[in-house]
Amino acid sequence: MSANWQSLRSRLPGSRWAVISVPYLWLLLFFAIPFLIALKISFAKFEMAMPPYSSLLNWEDGFLVLKLRLENYLYLVNDSLYVNAYLSSLKIAVIATGLCLLIGYPMAYVISRMEPATRNIALMLVVLPSWTSFLIRIYAWIGILKQNGLLNNFLLNIGLIDAPLKILYTPAAVYIGIVYAYLPFMVLPLYSNLVKLDRRLLEAAYDLGARPWRAFLAITLPLSKAGIIAGSMLVLIPVVGEFVIPEMLGGPDTLMIGRVLWQEFFNNRDWPVASAVAIVMLIILIVPILIFHKSQAKELEGRLA
Amino acid sequence: MASVDADAAGSNGTMVNSAANPPAPSPDRYLVIDTVRKEFDGFVAVDDVSLTIRKGEIFALLGASGCGKSTLLRCLAGFETPTAGRIELEGQSLIGLPPYERRINMMFQSYALFPHMTVEQNIAFGLKQDGMAKAAMRARVDEMLSLVQMNRFAKRKPHQLSGGQQQRVALARSLAKSPKMLLLDEPMGALDKKLRSQMQLELVNIIEKLGVTCVMVTHDQEEAMTMAHRIAIMEQGRIRQCAKPDEIYEQPNCRYTAGFIGSVNLFEGRIDKDEKDFVTIRTSAFPDPIYVAHGVTGFEGMEVAMALRPEKLRISKHEPDLKHNKAHGSIEDIAYFGSHSVYHVRLDGGCKVMCNFVNMKRWDSESFTWNDPVWVSWGDLEGVVLSS
Repeated sequence: MSANWQSLRSRLPGSRWAVISVPYLWLLLFFAIPFLIALKISFAKFEMAMPPYSSLLNWEDGFLVLKLRLENYLYLVNDSLYVNAYLSSLKIAVIATGLCLLIGYPMAYVISRMEPATRNIALMLVVLPSWTSFLIRIYAWIGILKQNGLLNNFLLNIGLIDAPLKILYTPAAVYIGIVYAYLPFMVLPLYSNLVKLDRRLLEAAYDLGARPWRAFLAITLPLSKAGIIAGSMLVLIPVVGEFVIPEMLGGPDTLMIGRVLWQEFFNNRDWPVASAVAIVMLIILIVPILIFHKSQAKELEGRLA
Repeated sequence: MASVDADAAGSNGTMVNSAANPPAPSPDRYLVIDTVRKEFDGFVAVDDVSLTIRKGEIFALLGASGCGKSTLLRCLAGFETPTAGRIELEGQSLIGLPPYERRINMMFQSYALFPHMTVEQNIAFGLKQDGMAKAAMRARVDEMLSLVQMNRFAKRKPHQLSGGQQQRVALARSLAKSPKMLLLDEPMGALDKKLRSQMQLELVNIIEKLGVTCVMVTHDQEEAMTMAHRIAIMEQGRIRQCAKPDEIYEQPNCRYTAGFIGSVNLFEGRIDKDEKDFVTIRTSAFPDPIYVAHGVTGFEGMEVAMALRPEKLRISKHEPDLKHNKAHGSIEDIAYFGSHSVYHVRLDGGCKVMCNFVNMKRWDSESFTWNDPVWVSWGDLEGVVLSS
């Protein structure tokens, strides 16, 4: 009995280490190493070779020389294409996040106030589209938005418009696609926040003389702040680097950093510049990622208190 | 004179005749609840309840969970609309008024303090809704903070406060708007026992100081007895008895109230002899009929119950020198509470009675122990005859 216990005890720290190490191993393999590779390439020089970039370490006259070229980064700063692409990506991401919030908040609010049975069906309907391939769903929007697509035909038939609207290959189509694709990422964190709201707080507000709209602004909205931040960051962060939606629904003038990155990498085969573009994008996104983390930590703290 | 008839009249006296025209509002008819009924999908939560509450009164709705007391309170606050009936405050109907248009404030069960606001913001919330000027609001919040002695904690958030402190803030918040009526929903529910008895008295002091009329809901009879001027016992949506705490305790009007408040020995029996100034009741518990030294409304052979509080019973080793109301038995169980002991005596007739004994001496040589043969006895006026 006691021998068994001893052997179990001696094995326990090891097994605990094994459990903890799994996520770290995952992060190391799929985040840290690829990031370091990209970082390394971003300091290299483009070469017509295999792989198409120079190595950082060279042996010169008995010295091991590490050359970190900053020319790729300088190039990004000096060429207005990249600066504009970053700004335009951020602008599109911020506007799309705002639209998702405007549409997603009422959705999440209504779902959180449904009966539990209907609530589950509604949540299912929010998640269900994700069961189809992302690419196919975006492709389907082409069929809806194009010149003689479903939307235009419908509007023409009911007589709301006389000539088909040009939506596809415009920024509007990009916004429609992004809002459609990322809405669940806004609705779900908001829902899980709103459903926890103690209804008695609202009753207390009414009791103290607040009309429903005032009670919403003074109680519900501030208490759902963590959900708003979580949902917004979950939309904003991936949308900044979004490639598929602007590529498929946007026109040639829809400038987004994901597209630029794709062109640098696949069309120009300039790996060092492409890597620098990716690294700068990551640095830009660190701010919203930190905001997201802080709000999550606060949420957790609040739950423990 | 205690009698069944007097009890019934006592509770009827507080009821409102719904057919009559409502008389002009008077301090005695401050809040009028008239045949209020609330149904949820066919389930009757509040069943034609009528009550009148005086100005400045602390009134308790007491009952087990699910008796409809909270639903009735929510009807007063405006969170529920009665299916039928009238509710009037100072002669003004409250029916149809949303909670934010009633000058009634509630202290919620477990307080419902706004977690994202400080103590002073919580207290100011109601004043802010009225559009009160900044300076006046400041003054009023300070006044409320001193009333509940929470000035030091003005800048704290609710989660940084103890249960008792949260309760003070909740009280201050519900009193800040000088409501015409204060509602308390299980006010001590979230406090531990020791703090509870202290806060009960403090709460009553504050409420009485301000003179605000107060309706509270509780399932804790001690709380209702300590705090309220009058108590209504509710069961299955109906009011079983409405009276002062001592009347409820000493003159329960039915078996339910007698059993709900405190502990009681109930003996079922029939009226044996019905005279003008005394009755005797034959029960299976005692060989001799119980003698009651007053008349009751009833008839010979009527089924009644005799209610005897445990502290009204005397326990002795020797046969007491009494003509009636004594029985012999032996001690079967002893519950020691420190201040007093409860002896469970098995009577020779087979029936078990509870009998309180105050432990006045520290080590009593006269004290009883298990299986001691004892006599229990009681005075001719100590029992209550219940017909319902």
